[in-house]
Amino acid sequence: MAATGSLTASAPVRGRPNRVTLLRIGIIVAVLAGWELLSRSGWLYRDVVPSLFAIGKAIVALLSSGEYYFHLGVTAGEILAALAIGGVLGLIVGLLLGGNRFLAAAFESYLYYLGPTPKIIFFPILIMWFGVGPGSKIAMGVLSAFFPIALSVAAGMREIDRVLIRVGKSFRATTWQMATKIYVPAMRHPIINGVRLGLGVGLIGTLLAETKLSNKGIGYLIIQAYTLFDMPRMYAMLIVLFVLAIGANALVGRLGGLSNIKRR
Amino acid sequence: MSASSATAPRSASPPQPGEAILDVDHLHVAFQTPDGPVIAVEDVSLTVRKGEFLSIIGPSGCGKSTVFNVVGGLLTEHEGRVSVAGETIVGPHPSIGMVFQEESTFPWRTVIDNVAFPLELTGMPKAQRLERARHFIEMVGLQGFERRYPGELSGGMRQRVSLARTLASEPKILLMDEPFAALDEQTRLLLGDKVLQIQQELQQTTLLITHNITEAVQMSDRILVMTYRPGKAKRIVEIDLPRPRTSEIVGSEAFGRYVAQIWADLREEASRGLTDDETSRNRGSAS
Repeated sequence: MAATGSLTASAPVRGRPNRVTLLRIGIIVAVLAGWELLSRSGWLYRDVVPSLFAIGKAIVALLSSGEYYFHLGVTAGEILAALAIGGVLGLIVGLLLGGNRFLAAAFESYLYYLGPTPKIIFFPILIMWFGVGPGSKIAMGVLSAFFPIALSVAAGMREIDRVLIRVGKSFRATTWQMATKIYVPAMRHPIINGVRLGLGVGLIGTLLAETKLSNKGIGYLIIQAYTLFDMPRMYAMLIVLFVLAIGANALVGRLGGLSNIKRR
Repeated sequence: MSASSATAPRSASPPQPGEAILDVDHLHVAFQTPDGPVIAVEDVSLTVRKGEFLSIIGPSGCGKSTVFNVVGGLLTEHEGRVSVAGETIVGPHPSIGMVFQEESTFPWRTVIDNVAFPLELTGMPKAQRLERARHFIEMVGLQGFERRYPGELSGGMRQRVSLARTLASEPKILLMDEPFAALDEQTRLLLGDKVLQIQQELQQTTLLITHNITEAVQMSDRILVMTYRPGKAKRIVEIDLPRPRTSEIVGSEAFGRYVAQIWADLREEASRGLTDDETSRNRGSAS
């Protein structure tokens, strides 16, 4: 959303981007000022809307504690594992569905219906299968990331320029060579797009699972801060997490941008 | 009738000596369409001799691309036999290198990696295959562009990359399907020169599918004219022009006579295709 906004907004006013920038900064300042006003007004409990100063202090405290980084590492590891497993599974299933009309006709509708289903409803089952630890969180992330990647790869495979496949066949490429040297590179854009979507929902799935039942990870810390009613700390974590999520998304987006340059 | 007119010139004196390397024997291809079966190729026989440049010419819809796919081994459902040096073609054959009409370079590979592609498939060591690729890049006149991506090149240059890539696999028979169809006239003539030069330099046996008479006469030793749907062999014309040739030959009187002769053959077929097109369009607009 933010990305498309910046594209459409900054393109026409290339010569004088100041107004756009000013407006953006203005909105942030307005939100922060509103927050601070709300905090001081006393309309809500002081602790529910802590002052900016209290949140700032909590962020500093958070970023200087080793415990936080441990939990951050756990969550990051879970998300990476989920993305790796979900990505490979999604890629394989996507290739199978994209390459085989029969399989696609038989199974693809399942993916379309299961894809948007909130995966958190499977979490109780995952806890029973994989335990309270990171295992069930990874499984949750895999379940979330798998669908967009599989669907994106399947759709991408159908859009491959057919002549490239004929070229591969005419040079008598083996099935493995066709997959690694033609299909996958030809589908780099839908694959990166799928990974990007997968990262987004995988992140949500993993964190959501952590907030439900866990003993480590950022989601666990957030819900712990909530139960202890340590609001500044909770907000601090949300803000840091928000920034990290934006960074991760930008990183995957950058990967896609790089391959775009090489394309044409 | 078609078979006899196609086979008769085969027994006549060959334009240049050389044993038969590609043999198409009574090829018959039909496609199933929603409107019933359509015969794309009906009883076509032809022989390509070693070192020979043979073109197949015909109007759109004469099944010449079908012949291309059958000889290339990409279309295996057909009647009749196609063989390379005595081996029946049942799939893509290592002796045959295909150049496609469509844009077919890999956009994610640089020029040199595109050209080295067939060598990479055979497992040739990297240094060796890049050296081979460089040789063929030079041959098509693209030296200096090795590290560029196809997206940075013009359409004519990209088609030269495709040609170099196919040549790099060192096929016994170069099989091309209207490789210049998407290019403008000047590029087309210059590229035609390049192909002619390479073909003469390598003594490359070549089978060219085209609808361009000038191109066919300029390059070929023999031209097989095909009829409009169903595609049958109408006539084989031997082009007795001196070699080595360049595009300058286009101005000669003998050249003009061949073009006129083939146009006379093609005209009838092309106009049949045209009326067919119009009636089907009228039918379409009426319904």
